[in-house]
Amino acid sequence: MNSLLIPGGKAPAPPYETTRETTRKSLDEPMKTNGEQSTVLTLSQVGKSFGNLRVLKGIELQVQRSEVVCLIGPSGSGKSTLLRSMAFLEEYDEGEIRIEGQLLGWQDTDKGRRRAPQSQINQVRRNVGMVFQQFNLWPHMTALGNVCEALRRVRKFSADEAKKRGMAMLEKVGLGHKAEAYPAQLSGGQQQRVAIARALAMEPHIMLFDEPTSALDPELVGEVLQVMKTLAKEGMTMVVVTHEMGFAAQVADSVIFLDQGEIVARGTPRQIFHNAEQPRLQQFLQNYLDRNAFWQDAKP
Amino acid sequence: MTFDASIFTDHLGDIGSGFLVTLGTWSSGVVLGLALGMLIAVAQVFGNNLVRAPLRVFIELIRSTPFLVQLFLVYYGGPSFGISLDPIPAGILGLGVYGGVYFAEIFRTGFQSVARGQLEAADCLGITRLQCVWRIQVPQMLVMILPALVNMVTVLCKETAVLSIITIPELTMVLTGIGSETFAFVETLLMLCIGYLILVELCSRLGMLLETRVGRFMSRQPR
Amino acid sequence: MFDWPLLQQNAPLLLGALWVTLQVSMAALVFGFVIGIVVGSLRLSPVPLLRRMGGAYIFVFRGIPLLVQLLFIYYFLPRVGLPNVSPTAAAIIGLSLAAGAYIAEIMRGGFLAIPGGQLEAAGLLGLSDAQMLMRIRVPQAVRLTLPALVNEMILLIKASSLVSVVGLADLTRTAQNLAASDYMFVQDYLMLAGFYCLINVPLAYAASLLERRLKERTA
Repeated sequence: MNSLLIPGGKAPAPPYETTRETTRKSLDEPMKTNGEQSTVLTLSQVGKSFGNLRVLKGIELQVQRSEVVCLIGPSGSGKSTLLRSMAFLEEYDEGEIRIEGQLLGWQDTDKGRRRAPQSQINQVRRNVGMVFQQFNLWPHMTALGNVCEALRRVRKFSADEAKKRGMAMLEKVGLGHKAEAYPAQLSGGQQQRVAIARALAMEPHIMLFDEPTSALDPELVGEVLQVMKTLAKEGMTMVVVTHEMGFAAQVADSVIFLDQGEIVARGTPRQIFHNAEQPRLQQFLQNYLDRNAFWQDAKP
Repeated sequence: MTFDASIFTDHLGDIGSGFLVTLGTWSSGVVLGLALGMLIAVAQVFGNNLVRAPLRVFIELIRSTPFLVQLFLVYYGGPSFGISLDPIPAGILGLGVYGGVYFAEIFRTGFQSVARGQLEAADCLGITRLQCVWRIQVPQMLVMILPALVNMVTVLCKETAVLSIITIPELTMVLTGIGSETFAFVETLLMLCIGYLILVELCSRLGMLLETRVGRFMSRQPR
Repeated sequence: MFDWPLLQQNAPLLLGALWVTLQVSMAALVFGFVIGIVVGSLRLSPVPLLRRMGGAYIFVFRGIPLLVQLLFIYYFLPRVGLPNVSPTAAAIIGLSLAAGAYIAEIMRGGFLAIPGGQLEAAGLLGLSDAQMLMRIRVPQAVRLTLPALVNEMILLIKASSLVSVVGLADLTRTAQNLAASDYMFVQDYLMLAGFYCLINVPLAYAASLLERRLKERTA
């Protein structure tokens, strides 16, 4: 990714390298044999409206174990809403979202659909980890406190166990030395890494990232993406809403392009970034390049 | 105007007990008010409209009427509802209800001040609503609302003077009583003023101390 | 539980007393406002001594219970050679002095909210300090603090329930007298509370409306 998006990098001849398929295959295997089901997340005909505005229409999506799916699209395309629906932070109102086979958020009764009780929602999404654009760390707890909180209260770990796991997670994101720091004392990139550690500590089967680097200063983006790359290499199943096309190109197994609440295009990074056929996707990529490939217009 | 200190030395016991009654009613009223306020705020934030609407009316009524009138209703009106209270319990109840309503408003704004995203993050991790209130919302909002809370506590301190009207033998009643006994009105009232100033000042000093304590995580400097 | 004929008989008496309460509160708001501007300006004065004086005023009149302040005035004024101050005047003096302390804090906030550049501009144009205060600072501060001032009015109306200690027959004292003669405590005091609500609920509504409008404008 360095080559394309960091100013001063070489202008790449093939703009996106797609290295992921070759590096990951071997790591996938052991995880797939663990669970009998290889599909972690299934969306069928998912729709959502805010009043009269239909922000999601007929979304069909399957995410396999260890797959990394990137959602791209212009702002307002519904990609964040889609991702938030996967954790039932938004109540989707049509179709089904299933996590490892279990229906998320709703209950079918003879009177139609009802919101499932909170305990059941928590049961279904206990294997879903979420990372937010604004980090959403709890400012009154240290980094370690943030990571340990749910372990203690939800998983009922003892203080020692939680601390041990929490430290391991912070080490994993390279922040073991900041365990006692409060969020206000950390940079944006560090805060986001703590947020990732917080989600990882619960050992999720799938991680959802909602524009994890959009709120960061440009020089802090790299450290967060690096952590996410490592996760992908280790075989974590991930769905990522992102504006970082370089990351999508390098790390994703499949890229999905959303526009006006619909999936307009999907495919491997190569298919999406090199052989875009749909006019809307072409337009989107062109806009992106115009904004980011400033060196093409540099004065001699 | 000569100042006769013997007035105070002669009545030291009475003054002492009056001071204790003031402290006692004040602190009990604060504790009751805080508990009631938290209850009302939680009901308002998490309850449905069936809970919220009557609470809203109750809050509006209490805030629109003088404390003295509420005190009259509790103390003189109580027996008609089968609640005959001695002056001191009636006074504490009155202080608690009056304070509770204001505390509730403070807590409610506190709850709203914690960013939604933090609650979503907790929600995603399976943390329950109740755990969320106690572990995430309350500790954070305390920092934000502490000045308002301390202010309300000092307001209640001053309101204890009104308790003298329903014959609670607290500081104001004791000292004005001594005044009318000895005709040393100005001396006793001066003493009374100084007493309240000290109490209120102590309270806000303590509050400031507490503020620097609990707000430490907001600072960017490592400890 | 309610005795309607008695209620109808008592209501006009309370209505008359409500007028007393309103008059005293309004007068206190006006005088308190003047004191508030003076003390609020003192608090922001460049002269440390004046700042101290402003601070001391607020400390004393906010720190002492109003009831005690009123008692003090009641017993103190005759001692300093003003034996014939009417109860109304004593009540207004007491309420105004206390209101002044609260309004001073409100006005200080209002003054601070005015961008400093405006005052610099006025100073460059040659306006005197007094002109600046009356023409630029006060009008703007009032606009910014109007919701708070309306809330202060509510506080004053409630606080005025204590003026009976200086011998004024206000709303609360009148209800007390009624209750003492007819022993209908619940009925009389509920009616009393109702009269306060009659004034204060609309005022509270007005304050929140003003606040919302102010927020919209400044947002």
